Amino acid sequence: MKLKLQWIYTLLVVLSVQFSFAQERVITGVVSGDAGVIPGVNVVVKGAKTSAQTDFDGSYSIKAKTGDVLVFSYVGMLDLTATVGTASTLSVTLNESQKTLDEVVVVAYGKQKAKAIVGSIATIGSDVLQTQQATSVLSALQGSVAGVSVIAAGGQPGENPVIRIRGTGSINASTSPLVVLDGAPFGGNLNAISADQIETISVLKDASSTALYGSRGSNGVILITTKRGKLNSAPRVTFTTQVGFADNAVKLHELLGSDDYMKYTWEGIRNTNQYVNLQAPALAGTNASNSLVSRLGYNPYTVAQPVDANGNLVTTNKKWDTNWEDLLLNDAAVRKEHTLSLSGGSDNTRYFFTSNYLSQEGNVKTSKFERMTTRLSIDTKVNEWLKAGVTMFYSTSDQNFPTQSGSSFQSAVQWIYTIPSIYPAFRRDGAGDLVTDDKGNTIYDYGSGAPGQLLNATRPQLSTENALGALYNYKIGYKRDNYTANAYLEFTLAKDLTFKTNLAYDKYLYDNFEYSSNEFGNAASVGGRVTQNRDITTSVNFFNGLNYKKSFGDHNLSADLIQEAYQFKIDALGAQGEGYLPGVQVLDGSTTPTSVSGSISEERISSYLARLAYNYKEKYFVEGSYRKDGSTRFNRDVRWGDFYSVGGSWLVSEESFLKDNTILSELKLRASYGELGNQKTLYTATGNANYFPGQQAYETGWNELTNTGIVLGGAVDKLLTWETTATMDFGVDFGLFNNRITGTVDYYSKKSIDLINNKPTPGSTGNTSVITNLGSLKNSGWEFSLNSKNVQTPNFVWNTGLNFSTEKNEITEQPQASIIVGTKRYEVGRSLYEFYIQDWAGVDPATGYGMWYKDVLGTDGKPTGERVTTKTYAQATRYYVGKSSLPDVTGGFTNYFRYKNLDMNILFNFSVGSYVYDSSYASLMEGFKSPGRAGSQDLEGRWQKPGDVTNVPLFLASNNDFNSQSTRFLYKNDYVRLKALNFGYNFPQSILDKTKLSKLRLYFQGDNLLTFQSHKGIDPEQNIGGTTDSRSYNLRVISFGLNIEF
Amino acid sequence: MKTLISKFFIAITALFILVGCSDEFLDEPKPTNTVSADIAFGSREGTEALISGIMRRFRGQYTSTDAAGLNSMFFARSVKGNDLIETDNWFGFDYANDNREPTYRRTTFTWNYCFYMINQANTLINGVNASTALSEGDKKELAAYGHALRGFFYHQLVMEFAPTYSADINFPAPPIYTETSSTGNPMSTVGEVYKLIVDDLTIAVDALTEDRLGKSYINKNVANGILAQVYQVMGNWEGAKNAAIACYGGDPEAVLDAESYRSGFDDIDNVEWIWGSAQTPDQSNYYWNAPAVFIDHKGPYDATYVNRDFVALFSATDVRAYFARKSASITDMNDHRYWITNKFTFSFEGDNVIIRSPEMILIEAEAKARLNDFTGAHDLLYTLQLDRDENAVKSTNTGAALIEEILVERRKELYAENGVEWFDAKRLRRGITRTGNHRIGAAGSLTADDKKFFLKIPQAEIDANPFIEDAVNANR
Repeated sequence: MKLKLQWIYTLLVVLSVQFSFAQERVITGVVSGDAGVIPGVNVVVKGAKTSAQTDFDGSYSIKAKTGDVLVFSYVGMLDLTATVGTASTLSVTLNESQKTLDEVVVVAYGKQKAKAIVGSIATIGSDVLQTQQATSVLSALQGSVAGVSVIAAGGQPGENPVIRIRGTGSINASTSPLVVLDGAPFGGNLNAISADQIETISVLKDASSTALYGSRGSNGVILITTKRGKLNSAPRVTFTTQVGFADNAVKLHELLGSDDYMKYTWEGIRNTNQYVNLQAPALAGTNASNSLVSRLGYNPYTVAQPVDANGNLVTTNKKWDTNWEDLLLNDAAVRKEHTLSLSGGSDNTRYFFTSNYLSQEGNVKTSKFERMTTRLSIDTKVNEWLKAGVTMFYSTSDQNFPTQSGSSFQSAVQWIYTIPSIYPAFRRDGAGDLVTDDKGNTIYDYGSGAPGQLLNATRPQLSTENALGALYNYKIGYKRDNYTANAYLEFTLAKDLTFKTNLAYDKYLYDNFEYSSNEFGNAASVGGRVTQNRDITTSVNFFNGLNYKKSFGDHNLSADLIQEAYQFKIDALGAQGEGYLPGVQVLDGSTTPTSVSGSISEERISSYLARLAYNYKEKYFVEGSYRKDGSTRFNRDVRWGDFYSVGGSWLVSEESFLKDNTILSELKLRASYGELGNQKTLYTATGNANYFPGQQAYETGWNELTNTGIVLGGAVDKLLTWETTATMDFGVDFGLFNNRITGTVDYYSKKSIDLINNKPTPGSTGNTSVITNLGSLKNSGWEFSLNSKNVQTPNFVWNTGLNFSTEKNEITEQPQASIIVGTKRYEVGRSLYEFYIQDWAGVDPATGYGMWYKDVLGTDGKPTGERVTTKTYAQATRYYVGKSSLPDVTGGFTNYFRYKNLDMNILFNFSVGSYVYDSSYASLMEGFKSPGRAGSQDLEGRWQKPGDVTNVPLFLASNNDFNSQSTRFLYKNDYVRLKALNFGYNFPQSILDKTKLSKLRLYFQGDNLLTFQSHKGIDPEQNIGGTTDSRSYNLRVISFGLNIEF
Repeated sequence: MKTLISKFFIAITALFILVGCSDEFLDEPKPTNTVSADIAFGSREGTEALISGIMRRFRGQYTSTDAAGLNSMFFARSVKGNDLIETDNWFGFDYANDNREPTYRRTTFTWNYCFYMINQANTLINGVNASTALSEGDKKELAAYGHALRGFFYHQLVMEFAPTYSADINFPAPPIYTETSSTGNPMSTVGEVYKLIVDDLTIAVDALTEDRLGKSYINKNVANGILAQVYQVMGNWEGAKNAAIACYGGDPEAVLDAESYRSGFDDIDNVEWIWGSAQTPDQSNYYWNAPAVFIDHKGPYDATYVNRDFVALFSATDVRAYFARKSASITDMNDHRYWITNKFTFSFEGDNVIIRSPEMILIEAEAKARLNDFTGAHDLLYTLQLDRDENAVKSTNTGAALIEEILVERRKELYAENGVEWFDAKRLRRGITRTGNHRIGAAGSLTADDKKFFLKIPQAEIDANPFIEDAVNANR
């Protein structure tokens, strides 16, 4: 009876449901494509929360009622909708979205169909981002977009790579592209954004695609579009977790061990005694043995004179043998990343929420980057004529940043390359035994002398510092908080007329904290030091745009009229104090406040934009863009600039003569020309922004004791204004064999004139330069990208992508005939990157001395063209050695394989033809000139006796120039890198059916797994100028991940 | 209908926003950490702020650890002589007397720095003279300050870039600017530059008073001290004597304090200091502050050692015999690291000396000796010597021998402060022969009137100044 009642109750419920919803039933079917059934197709009931996925046989089952609309979607296929009829089975065939030209692409201030684009735009999506561990998202552009040069920033996680789009178009103004996040220039640090938030990154390369960014467009523009929900989709939760380890991507230079080091140092002293001071060989050897330990200051050996008069080690027993690399670098840096996102949508509202946690240790011990970030976006259709949406973003990060490069004493890599293994990490007494404090702890050895201790106390190199101690006795940290709110309203004013207004607000708090111990190291003499700087950056971007779209028969027209105002403000505050108790690391504890600082810098841009696009039969396209910008960076008379572009394209494959061609399925020709600006003036010395470069003023802050002080600032050009870059672009997009193979070829030529340049002025006027508009540069190159679907079967898929580009840089006008800048000399007709240095002529077999080439001068004092060798470095001539730090070709190569449920994505990137000047290696090849400096194992091949033919000069423990700047240390820097490898397994539907999950994936992710390089010992990615700076090493990261969806 | 009205309203708003005027929007942002000329020359306080700013620029982290202000120039001169030894470290090339080519940092820094300061001085002079806000009395005094600065830096410049006054007054010397300028001027001559210097310092001595904002500033006494040095170089002994006396006051005993000699040479309040450049923890040159940072072996560099022959000049009871062995393990007296000096103590707040009273006393003594007032010279010399060494014996030398004794006394008193050995050798057209335990011996010696006593003209100046040709360095 009870059972019966229950049954009746159930029936009633079902009936009532039927009344309100009509009857739901199970619909099944098979989804197939050209090549057979497709597993993993998303099936949703439009307007409901129900969704399903096809299983391995391509079949699905979903609850729906008659009249419901099912939406089938799958990556690489066109979405298909089908209405549920009376039948319970509904099988469909999806078409591949072969018409790549029908894809919608994010462009400046809007979206366009790919076929309508007249310029050069490259886009990467989540397929690229998901298969890399891009802690700084833009590093994912490397190897994936032709024409974009990306150089990683070393081993400190959270640092952004250096990015150049189509070469370097400026010498003294910024050469970084403008980054636009969801329509507004991004004012924070890019490391705030995690990859899971990003839908696409579009790189705008030519004038027609960047013209609407006017005064900020000449270096190219990167548009980051974040993910949003989809209307009519069921809620979807995705969780990804990934854990891994990292070490150096490449090995360090090989260093001499202690035993060789001692013997070779002895040899250096002996050689100096013998060849410079002209002592008899036997005496030279004896004296070398006697002075060896006093020269080095330390003796790790158990005997007082470790090397005998013949240069042989007396013993190999040591009290210590320090491996600085092991002590300072992290070979198991932990990386953890977790992401949780949620998305969905109803008929008129859609939402997307994601949050991400990342923690990554770096190459130098204690370096670390920790970030939490979250983003929420909601879009809704309020009514027939109003749409509204908002995105909110918050990110907080903490970066521990021990010195990563450069020549300050604590710089870790420099330390490894300077201090040999014979110096101890911890204090030793004169007998070589460990010294401990009164608690029995070891003490870092700062090498700065100890009272009454003659030996093992004063280190000749980098004394008063200990890089290991520096990691723990100093703290350098950066904290960043970034909050963004971005909201829009879009009104449909008439059938073809919309008005959109968008306000983006961005607040960025940057806190830079430095502490130096009160007891040890660089601030011990003042009782420790704390320096803290806090900058609050606020940017507001306000945009109002009218868009009109109309078709008259075969004529299609689109017009935009936009007004935009941009405001950027940095409010900086800093303080420094000295004199702390042990353990106190906040400014409150300071005895002597040493500095306060604060300033507010503001920049505004006011702009008017217009775009007109027209096409005939979607076959012939023309487009023109115009922007007028007014910038506060320049004085009133010169602050308004006009920027424009025109472009056109012809979809040849739509012509009747090609329409049915079976080989050439798609062909499009493009051309564009435009003139853009660069207003980003910099202080050349600091690389920071210079907000008022045209105003002459007296600088405050130059106080003398207690009196306030000002000094006259540098000379200015009151008429300073934008740089202008004229870019021409020709491109072809094509598809072959029904678009199995697609590709793009572009040629560009960029001419930048009126460069914001330091014009040298006579130093006798009190200023050595003035920033003015002078000089021009030309960049040109070819870009190729090719994609091929090699195999497309239900069980096996293999896709290949290849892209590469060439780049040429030429100075076409400059303020002086020649300007020497480091290892380069700028001259008209040369590139900014061609090395101009002394030419090494090898080692003289008779004397073992290094030689260089010098010009023979004629009677008129001019070079005759003949060259001879010299052993005097000061006489060596500097030459253009025909080698440039700019690669001939850079690019990337990807392969994607899927076999049943296994998939693998492999990305290589490469660079060919560049040269690097390795100053770290030069220092290691010094050959014992200065006491106690580390050496390379390559020193073994040194000249030892007359007649020796070698490239390594004799060791000399006295002044010489053998390792001075010359082609001796200029190396070819070709490399191929396995940048990313992703290998995963998707659990089949049959297993998922037993769970609540719709997706379960396990994967392996490796970044920088392999590097093949022509010059070993340093990471091949150093800097654009091809020089080195003792930078920490790029990471090789190996991770395992899990991805679930329900 | 309602919708239509709303839409119409929105469209009007849109149109209004799109055509809004925006020059006001762009006019608003202004630099916040600079002031205009109106402030600088609008009041005595404003102009004094400019003077303070210029004095602060006597030291600074300019281009490198060895190019950090006047102190770097002085120390480069100090290591060029025979008394000090520099390791292969900062200033190692100056020590080798090898740091003078047109593109070298010493050359460009010394040139650009002096002219930077001269341009600031010209800004001060021009601005004060043009000011309508300052009183006539203030204008005279404040402009005089500018003249003192300009005279001082032109004197440093001409010594660094030309042979000495007595060698050749027609030799091409650095260009003269008496106005701020954005374009270059042609080379002048040594004689013209000295005329400008004497004129400037005469104006300064006349219009400045003894008042000043602190001991790091110039007053009438300091201006006289600078003038005394100038006359010493020019051989105007009457002028040098009078200026020196006007500088230190004429009472040697009142301005000597032997006890302070061993207190580290880092305190501007020392009674012997007439003019210095003071540091405070918040206004420090940090590790860029020669000489102390290099010469104090408790500092980071351990870069400077003392010639054993120089050490041997001091009697054991001389308070200035403040030397020490580097290390008992260095037993070879030929080792250049044998002796160090404890004269200077390095700290971030250590002050630098520019003019000290013993220098003035010795100028007066030298002037008297040159003017054949040997007794007067003996008295002055002995006053100083006795202050330093209770066992000092009064000189009986006359003529050249007395001059030599005074010159040696100058080295013993002033070594490592302002390049006294170089200064004397240059002005007297003598060589400097390296002896003792030098790291770079004979190769670093200088002959009389050696070209290495001055620097070449920087290539960057030649390239940017249409009036100066490459040939300017042909005879340098």
